[in-house]
Amino acid sequence: MKMADGSTILRRNRPGTKSKDFCRWPDEPLEEMDSTLAVQQYIQQLIKRDPSNVELILTMPEAQDEGVWKYEHLRQFCMELNGLAVRLQKECSPSTCTQMTATDQWIFLCAAHKTPKECPAIDYTRHTLDGAACLLNSNKYFPSRVSIKESSVTKLGSVCRRVYRIFSHAYFHHRRIFDEFEAETYLCHRFTHFVTKYNLMSKENLIVPINVGENAAPGESEA
Amino acid sequence: MGTNSGATAGINNKPVGGATGAGVLVGGGVGGANSSIGGVLSNSLGGGGGLSIGGLNAGGQNANVGGMGNVGGDDGGNGMVGGGVNNQQATTPQYTIPGILHFIQHEWSRFELERSQWDVDRAELQARIAMLLGERKCLESLKSDLTRRIKMLEYALRQERAKFYRLKYGTDPPQLNEFKPSNEDAGLAGEVATDSEVPYSSVSNTTWRQGRQMLRQYLAEIGYTDNIIDVRSNRVRSILGLNNNAEHDGSGGGLGGGLGGGTGGENLSPNINGNESNKRASETEGRHTPAKKVQQSIDEIIVDTEAAVMANFEFLGATEMSDDDEISDDLEMVATDNDDTDVKMAKRAKSGKDMLTEDLEADVGEQLLNDMNLMTEEVDGSLGLGELAQLTVNNESDGAYDANSKDGTGGSAGGAGYRKTWNAKYTLRSHFDGVRSLIFHPEEPVLITASEDHTLKLWNLQKTVQAKKSASLDVEPLYTFRAHTGPVLCLGMSSSGETCYSGGLDGNIECWQLPSPNIDPYDCYDPNVHSGTLEGHTDAVWGLTTMQSNIVSCSADGTVKLWSPYNKEPLLRTYTASEAEGAPSSVDFVRNEVDHIVVAYNSAHCIVYDTETGKQVVRLEAAQEMSGNTGKFINKVVSHPTLPITITAHEDRHIRFWDNTSGTLVHSMVAHLEPVTSLAVDAHGLYLLSGSHDCSIRLWNLDNKTCVQEITAHRKKFDESIFDVAFHATKPYIASAGADGLAKVFV
Repeated sequence: MKMADGSTILRRNRPGTKSKDFCRWPDEPLEEMDSTLAVQQYIQQLIKRDPSNVELILTMPEAQDEGVWKYEHLRQFCMELNGLAVRLQKECSPSTCTQMTATDQWIFLCAAHKTPKECPAIDYTRHTLDGAACLLNSNKYFPSRVSIKESSVTKLGSVCRRVYRIFSHAYFHHRRIFDEFEAETYLCHRFTHFVTKYNLMSKENLIVPINVGENAAPGESEA
Repeated sequence: MGTNSGATAGINNKPVGGATGAGVLVGGGVGGANSSIGGVLSNSLGGGGGLSIGGLNAGGQNANVGGMGNVGGDDGGNGMVGGGVNNQQATTPQYTIPGILHFIQHEWSRFELERSQWDVDRAELQARIAMLLGERKCLESLKSDLTRRIKMLEYALRQERAKFYRLKYGTDPPQLNEFKPSNEDAGLAGEVATDSEVPYSSVSNTTWRQGRQMLRQYLAEIGYTDNIIDVRSNRVRSILGLNNNAEHDGSGGGLGGGLGGGTGGENLSPNINGNESNKRASETEGRHTPAKKVQQSIDEIIVDTEAAVMANFEFLGATEMSDDDEISDDLEMVATDNDDTDVKMAKRAKSGKDMLTEDLEADVGEQLLNDMNLMTEEVDGSLGLGELAQLTVNNESDGAYDANSKDGTGGSAGGAGYRKTWNAKYTLRSHFDGVRSLIFHPEEPVLITASEDHTLKLWNLQKTVQAKKSASLDVEPLYTFRAHTGPVLCLGMSSSGETCYSGGLDGNIECWQLPSPNIDPYDCYDPNVHSGTLEGHTDAVWGLTTMQSNIVSCSADGTVKLWSPYNKEPLLRTYTASEAEGAPSSVDFVRNEVDHIVVAYNSAHCIVYDTETGKQVVRLEAAQEMSGNTGKFINKVVSHPTLPITITAHEDRHIRFWDNTSGTLVHSMVAHLEPVTSLAVDAHGLYLLSGSHDCSIRLWNLDNKTCVQEITAHRKKFDESIFDVAFHATKPYIASAGADGLAKVFV
């Protein structure tokens, strides 16, 4: 990001940029972002700066449309969950995890099929993420990224419920992977905080033990 | 007139019948009645026009006829019976058997007569309904035709605007000079163009005439008599009355030079119309007068539309000018010179005339179309269609000559290949973040995208979902490739299309076996799709390209590596340049020279290596550009598929062309408003596609280095917009990938 020629800062990742310099540019205030993707830019900027500062990341700027704010956050969650899926692919195989479970209480059925199916955990994970990608990019439900229909906002809750099961499966069956991933990204922490704050999931479904109130302070020990 | 004479004929019959039928009064009365029926029937069949009234009159007279018969009997009171009957009637209203019989017979014949009358009326009205229905239908089709025309014209206008924009933009003055003659040719080519279209109309004439004849035969076969067809043709002729005049005045009156071109092609039609009307010789004076009135109003309309069209074009002209100025400033190009504006004016005037002609032709065509749909006046009808066909061709060639077809006169076929315009057809939305790279399958309509959201996705363009209310199709991904732990930056595909490689910010190159393009998107996870990881780079892999079974990659760690992916030792060789060159940013195989690769470095130099020896073969640098290389950073380097030319995309908005043998700069041009990020050359080496952070992709003719088309395709995220562009090797697809998380495919 040696790009401060003159007075204007160009926020670009040129070919040849080292990975440590990727997206490493001075923060741009949200007010100055004139792109339709401003909210995504803003959220990614906050995460880049400090992924552990969940409270700040989830603090909605003033005059921000709440639907868009929730939508963009959920996009970011699904995107980062790809990282967890990549790790799970190495360990979670259909032979070891034949069903999508967390605790023994529930078997989750995969909603990606015409009739919900008892997919192995890894398939459930992939299908859920693929389905969420299709839904959240659907021209029908989410044609715009600057305003969201009220009817589409209700879809966000079901996406949240489904993707949360990936966290819970990882936590209860692949704890090592979960801990490593969480230490890097604070993703489950942020997600729990997010769904609680915006009331997208009921508390009894949040089975991964993360105390939201307590961990709001920095320096939580996840692993 | 006809009805009257018929009625009188019937009445005349009666006294005769009465006189001859002397004693047999009943017979005489019946006979009279019969004959009167005959008279009325013949009347109504022969009558045509106002038949319903004629029929009623005849009915009224029928009653008289009966009375007449009686009177006739009275006068010729030869027979006793007749006299007796008469007396009875005069003195007492006594009912006698013969009298009742006579009365009943008379009534019966009257009813019969009336019934036949009604039948005739009914047939008449049915014919009328059919005719009106036909009229309605043809008006409807006319309406749809006109809306289609409007759309056509709108489209042509859009093309025109795009053309002016393009014409001034991204072309150097010498090329502009080249354009001028061609434009003028096109401008003058009005008559030539219409000449060349004559075959069209004649062809359609004959085919339509044949079709018309056949239809007539069929109608005759199913008993549609000539009489009924004639009823229609009367009607049609009344329309034609207008038509003839309008056309004569249109071509003869001379609304302007441009009009001459338009109507010149159809000067057949007035002649034929004239002949027709002579033959029929049925046009009355009364018809001509209203026709002329209407014609006047048509003239008025034309004048109005002329004014409107001209006004429109004034406005257009103004905007074009301002656009041009801005752009040429932006591009630091030579400003518009006078000659150029002249061309523009000429063109504008020309198209103004075209519009005018078309307006008139639309009017004329409207009526001709009427005829055609009534299926009576074959010649005129077919001419009407011929004109419409011509107009379509006209429009096409209008839209065409913007694609700087030098043979503006050569007709549409010549320019066809030249003016392919690409339109967005498929939108690939499923990535959560910017799409960094995309690559087509060498044969199938299949492509793979790589995104900063850590995934790659496989798309089959034949499996689409119709997006609502839009012309573009949405495609859903078939497969998501997950293995990278960071943004995926570059892609390569084997020439067989079976294997694909991706390089990521995590420094790994992943190898993938492509799943079938018909796979179920929610199939079970097959770990074998991910067929290996090439580890060796210690920093982000930014460039990757394939040649036969080998791939070459460049990385931010400063190295370029040659791999043979499925060898035991996949890494074949590493090429490192001096520190001063900085990190490589892009790499490509030199396509016309085996074992050579060209690498672009941060220093804005390109180096061609021999892959076998690892030695530098050529350094691509221009002496005069040595000073201040800072802004000239190379974003992408590609090798021409057949010629020893390397093409580079620069941060300073330029595209530069280099000679691989001498290492010198061949050509340099400002190509975009912002840094050029991506390049692709089509398989034949004729066209170059470039993408830029200015949100647009541009298609360049490599022959004369002019921009053929510009498409605004993506939105910005931070200061980035378009990351990659691609050509399909064997199918007419181009694609672009953007920071907005979308990929678009154009056809």
